[in-house]
This record gives sequence, structure tokens and C-alpha cells, in this order.
Amino acid sequence: MAAEQAIDPIHQFNIVPLFADHVGTVTFTNASLFMVIIVGLISLLMIYGTSTSAMVPGRLQAAAEMAYEFVASTVRGSAGTEGMRFFPLVFSLFMFVLFSNLVGLVPYTFTVTSQIIVTFAFAALVIGVVIVYGVIRHGAHFLHLFVPSGVAPALMPFIVLIEVISFISRPISLSVRLFANMLAGHITLKVFGGFVTLMIGAGALTAIASILPLAAIVMLTAFELLVAFLQAYVFAILTCVYLNDAIHPGH
Amino acid sequence: MQPKVSQTPMEKPDKDDEALQMKARLDRLSSALEAKNKSISSASDSSDPVAGGNIGRTMSLGFRVLSEFVAGIIVGCLMGWQFDEWFSTSPLFLILFLALGTAAGFWNVYRIAAAPTQPGKTDQ
Repeated sequence: MAAEQAIDPIHQFNIVPLFADHVGTVTFTNASLFMVIIVGLISLLMIYGTSTSAMVPGRLQAAAEMAYEFVASTVRGSAGTEGMRFFPLVFSLFMFVLFSNLVGLVPYTFTVTSQIIVTFAFAALVIGVVIVYGVIRHGAHFLHLFVPSGVAPALMPFIVLIEVISFISRPISLSVRLFANMLAGHITLKVFGGFVTLMIGAGALTAIASILPLAAIVMLTAFELLVAFLQAYVFAILTCVYLNDAIHPGH
Repeated sequence: MQPKVSQTPMEKPDKDDEALQMKARLDRLSSALEAKNKSISSASDSSDPVAGGNIGRTMSLGFRVLSEFVAGIIVGCLMGWQFDEWFSTSPLFLILFLALGTAAGFWNVYRIAAAPTQPGKTDQ
């Protein structure tokens, strides 16, 4: 069983129903379980961290305040102070993505963001908010997003088409980037783990050399920690950039 | 600390002096902190607020460029293919939209390179 798992690096992404196949129309899978765990962890951090509000913050309060300050400065930096009305959305997305990336690094856990449907749902939510808010706020003026000023009239149809394709490609690149990063990182870790077990099984000499992929796993885990944070940050900052387009179209 | 507190009535003049010194020291410290914050913010203005991890940041930027470029081409390709399905003009729209999608991919990359961050654009 252990060897089989080591040889199959995709096994970790399987979605398994946990209790029965159906409870009503809902199937509670391991993915749902980890989503609940992530939301619980975030709520614990934010509620417990802000409950004391001491002048000199403790560890949890410092972490909660740092998360707030970090996301707030990101939103202000790329969407302006007007973008702060979207702060709850950006903060929720950032914290959920960050925590699911980090929780996924713990062995035997499930990485929610390694499922493309989850990341695509987030990206579709972001683009949906951009479109709905842009149309409500600016009406037809929102379409100026696709019509840059100062273009020769002969080129205009091509430019508009290119802008439309570019806009449609945003949710795809946003979701695929996060999904691919998490998927690739976790598969790499599992493949190197498979190397270790195979080399130990192959003989005395290779068993000694198996320390090399083990060291690589340690380094890769540290690198994955960085990637987990950076991808959550990139997701948040691109959300802000797209929301900035909804607030100020046609710049 | 404890014995000093119990002796305070005896060293009253001393304590005033101490308070003045403390105030001067606090002023010095706060002005130094302000200067340091200013220099930090001006130094990190150009880069992302992510501390450390130069390789990781560069890799994530590279991955961003790659995914935006590929996404543009894929979207153009799919749109052209779908238009061909609707109008049954088999390779015409596919070729046209593939070219447009490639242009959109380059346009995405250009936007990343030209304006890494647009800090709070004001209304024009």
C-alpha cells in the first residue's frame, strides 16, 4: 500500500466522499472537509486574534493585524482608497487561498486550491464582480475598457477584438496559474518521495544515495512554502488590479 | 525595578530629571523611527511588499507572464473554433482568431512589463 502510494503521485488529488455517497443532494467529500477546516482556522485566527485587542499584541493578535495591514496596503496600493470598499472580498479570497495552500503542505492533507474548479470559481467570482460593479457604476461607459483612446479608426475593430480576448483570458490565466502552481509543486514533492522509497528498496549503495532526494524534498518544501504565500499574494493583487479597471474604466 | 518604585518619594528631584531625560530619549527614538520608516517605504516603493524570496518572486512573475500569454492564445483559439462551428467556415475564423489571440497574449505581456503596479489611478 505504501509503495503503491509512493508510485502514484496523483493519488493525493482524488476526491473521496467521506460519509455516504449522498446526504440529500449534497456529497460531503474530503475537499469539503478541508474547506470547512480552512474557514474554521481563519475564523479562529481573526476572532480570537481580535478579541483581546491589547496595546502590545500577542502572537495571534499580531498575526491577525499583520494580515489585515498587508491586504489593506495591497488594496490601497493597486486599487486606490476607493478600492477599499472591496476589501472584504479581497481579504476573504486572500486568506482562503493562503490557508488552503499552507494547510495543503501538511502531510496527509488535501489541497483545495489544487482543484481547478475551485480556483476557477474564485476567478469567475472576481470577474463577475468586476463586470457587475463596472456596469452598475458606469453603465455603457464601462465599455470604454475595451476602446482605448488615441487609436487610428482603421485599427479600431482589431484593437477592440484584442482587448475583448485579453479580458476573457483574465479569469483563465488567474485560475490556471494558482491551480498549476499548487498541482505541480505537490506532484514534485510526491515524485521525490517516491525516489527515496525506490532507492532504499534497490540496494545498499542506492540506499545511502537516497539522502539526496530527501534533502531535495526539504528544500522543495521550503520553496513550496514561499510559493504558497506568493500565489495567494499574486491572486489578491491581480484581483485588485482588475477591480481597479471596474472603478476607473477607459484610462 | 521593584526597590526603585518604593524609593520614589525620596528621590523626587531626581525623578523629574529622569522624566525629562526619558522624554528626550523618546523624542529621539520616535524621530529616528520615522526617518527609518520613510527610508524603508521609499526603498520598497519600487518592489513588491513581499520580503525576501527573490527567486520565488522572479519565478512567480515569470509564471504570470507565461500564463497570461498562453491564456490569450487559448482563448483566441477556442473563440475561432466555436465561430467556425456556428458558421461552418472551417479554418477561416480559427486562423483569424488565433492571430488575434496571439496579439492579445503579447498585449497582456506588454501590460505587465509596462506598468507593474498602477498605484490608485485618479479619475481623468
